[in-house]
Amino acid sequence: MSGGWLVTGAGTVASTGTGVTEVFDALCAGRTGLAELRGFDRDRFRCRHAYEIDDRPAPGVDVPMRATRWLLEAVGAAARDAGLGENLSEVPVLVGTTLRELRSVELSWRDGHDFDARELHFGPALRRRFGVITSYTVANACAASLYALALALDRLDVETEDTVVVAGVDTIAESTYGLLDRCYSEAPEALRPFDRNRRGMVQGEGAAAVVLRRAAEGPGPGRVHARIRGVGINCDAYHPSAPDAASIGRAMRDAQLRAGVKPADVDLVMLHGTGTALNDEAEAAAVAQLFAGVSPSPLATAIKSMLGHTGGAAGLHSLVAAIESMRTGLVPPIVGLADPIDEVAPLRLVRDRASAAPIQVVQVNSFGFGGLNAVAILEKVT
Amino acid sequence: MGPAQVVVTAAATAVAGVAGPDRLSDPAPLCPAGGVDPVHGLSERGLRYKDRATKLAFRAATGALDGAGLPADVPATGVVVSSNFGNVDTIAQCADTIAAHGYGATSPMLLPATASNVTAAALAIRHGLRGANVTLCDGPCSGLDAVHWARLLVAAGRVDRVLVVGVEPANAVVEHLVRTSGLAASRLLDGAAAVVVESADSARSRGVRPLASLGGYANRATHAEAVARVAPGHVGLWFAPDDPVAEPVAAVAGTRYLGDLLGRCSGALGVFQCAGGAAWLARGGPGPVLATAGADADGVTAALVLTAWSGAGGG
Repeated sequence: MSGGWLVTGAGTVASTGTGVTEVFDALCAGRTGLAELRGFDRDRFRCRHAYEIDDRPAPGVDVPMRATRWLLEAVGAAARDAGLGENLSEVPVLVGTTLRELRSVELSWRDGHDFDARELHFGPALRRRFGVITSYTVANACAASLYALALALDRLDVETEDTVVVAGVDTIAESTYGLLDRCYSEAPEALRPFDRNRRGMVQGEGAAAVVLRRAAEGPGPGRVHARIRGVGINCDAYHPSAPDAASIGRAMRDAQLRAGVKPADVDLVMLHGTGTALNDEAEAAAVAQLFAGVSPSPLATAIKSMLGHTGGAAGLHSLVAAIESMRTGLVPPIVGLADPIDEVAPLRLVRDRASAAPIQVVQVNSFGFGGLNAVAILEKVT
Repeated sequence: MGPAQVVVTAAATAVAGVAGPDRLSDPAPLCPAGGVDPVHGLSERGLRYKDRATKLAFRAATGALDGAGLPADVPATGVVVSSNFGNVDTIAQCADTIAAHGYGATSPMLLPATASNVTAAALAIRHGLRGANVTLCDGPCSGLDAVHWARLLVAAGRVDRVLVVGVEPANAVVEHLVRTSGLAASRLLDGAAAVVVESADSARSRGVRPLASLGGYANRATHAEAVARVAPGHVGLWFAPDDPVAEPVAAVAGTRYLGDLLGRCSGALGVFQCAGGAAWLARGGPGPVLATAGADADGVTAALVLTAWSGAGGG
């Protein structure tokens, strides 16, 4: 769609802080949210590290509805930033998530906590806080928030509302945490994207939200943060958890086609970079192939190295960081990358220290379990 | 971008005691003996580790794809699944296992099943569906939301058609959640419904006669507002929500309470309503069909209208 869509407000919550500026500053400083596991009984697991938000009442004590709390925080910040205040009664909200409030289901079923099943989706909480009527909880695994972004853009194309909020949120559920521990041959101590000695993903917590409007209608009461040029989405239809490099490539090409950009136009790629054996290989190969012959190739980074894998929120965490990179001319580094795999050799990775560079166009990758791929292209608006 | 005409080209169900979507518009109660478990006899490879919701969805989806005349790997086909309780059993079972026996006792096969998109992903893999793949967990409105998003994906040009499935499993974890939340439910749905939503152009080019056309959709704070927004006029058949409505729709020839027939349908309700409504219209039942889901107490109701297919071509 010509003109694209404007981001007019943004909010973010992560293990490293609250607020777009605080989280981005931490990313550029190489500060991570990695810590010893707080929310579950550490002694029951091999893996004892995660990128948790430290807001539980006491170590080893957990409470329901933490995901909902961060979602409201991020949406509230984005709405204020966009000049909408607390009234979203006429604004549809799409929330991308892997686990919604399934951690609360664990706490209810096993540990007897009070939890109302109506709160499994985020609609009731969004209604209570912001008066939201129309909300959608998009449970699309690790691609959820960028998938929700694609749906929001389609909705703005076809329907009459002029503003939509897109958000992403995830906590860590004990079942997923334990199953990852079960699957890994060695327990990872940190999430180390693209490192030869990576041991797998380590989960993180947080939320992010953006406010969107059609570019043709201007920023309304907000200010322009960036323009979304397009989002490509597809499904591998291949494997429940392993990615398909060719299908990832198609999603990236679809995004660029929709955005009307060529590979040479992209200045920065926010890699999905989960630190798993399979993702990093497949993504590096697909990205290298896409940008083959482009010289210099775009800069590339992977912020899961500092935020952990924030599941459904990950795509928007990267997108919000990308907006700040375009605004500040600073690209956060990948931390913990000591020995890069061969497949990333063609990529210009930003390592260890933030890099200063003019960034005009960014590609944001997200790939989820079940072969869900969502890739966004955004650009700076001067 | 103008509105594309979007139609329903197939409908199927997988519920014990329900032979097909035609049964949904029959007001007679189900025989208490129940009938055959719809997942009995499923012989697909790789289903062994799949949760009940996924197995139910497989059964309904196969019926719908066959009904629409769609082979495997057909391009430009997406999937939208609606379910609120789909994988709560997996989550609860793993949490129990970890507490009792430690993480080592869990089955690694279950990792992707802790993500709520497990059913939509499995359907895509099974049938080679590589278009947009979406899982909605929107509470009571979710099923109608799913049909609406399928229509949006077609209208926006991302896909030509969408397999839409609504599914809710019945199990001890769902019963616990429903009971502790004070949700009224003497019975819970244990089943799935599926429809194929397609552009009219696609149906025409494939030589398939639609069952029905999709009309207006609204998502408003109250039942009355949602119905007024889709403005169906005199309604041939109204599929009502799970919970009682303070102001039932006035000008209707007939009303169906799928909650009475099937048990509390939750996120699957809207897809069952669409399946039943499309089948009703296809065999000449008076239209339009109005489907509503949600409750004023929840602060949101979705409404969807289906009309008889009146275009040329096909069948």
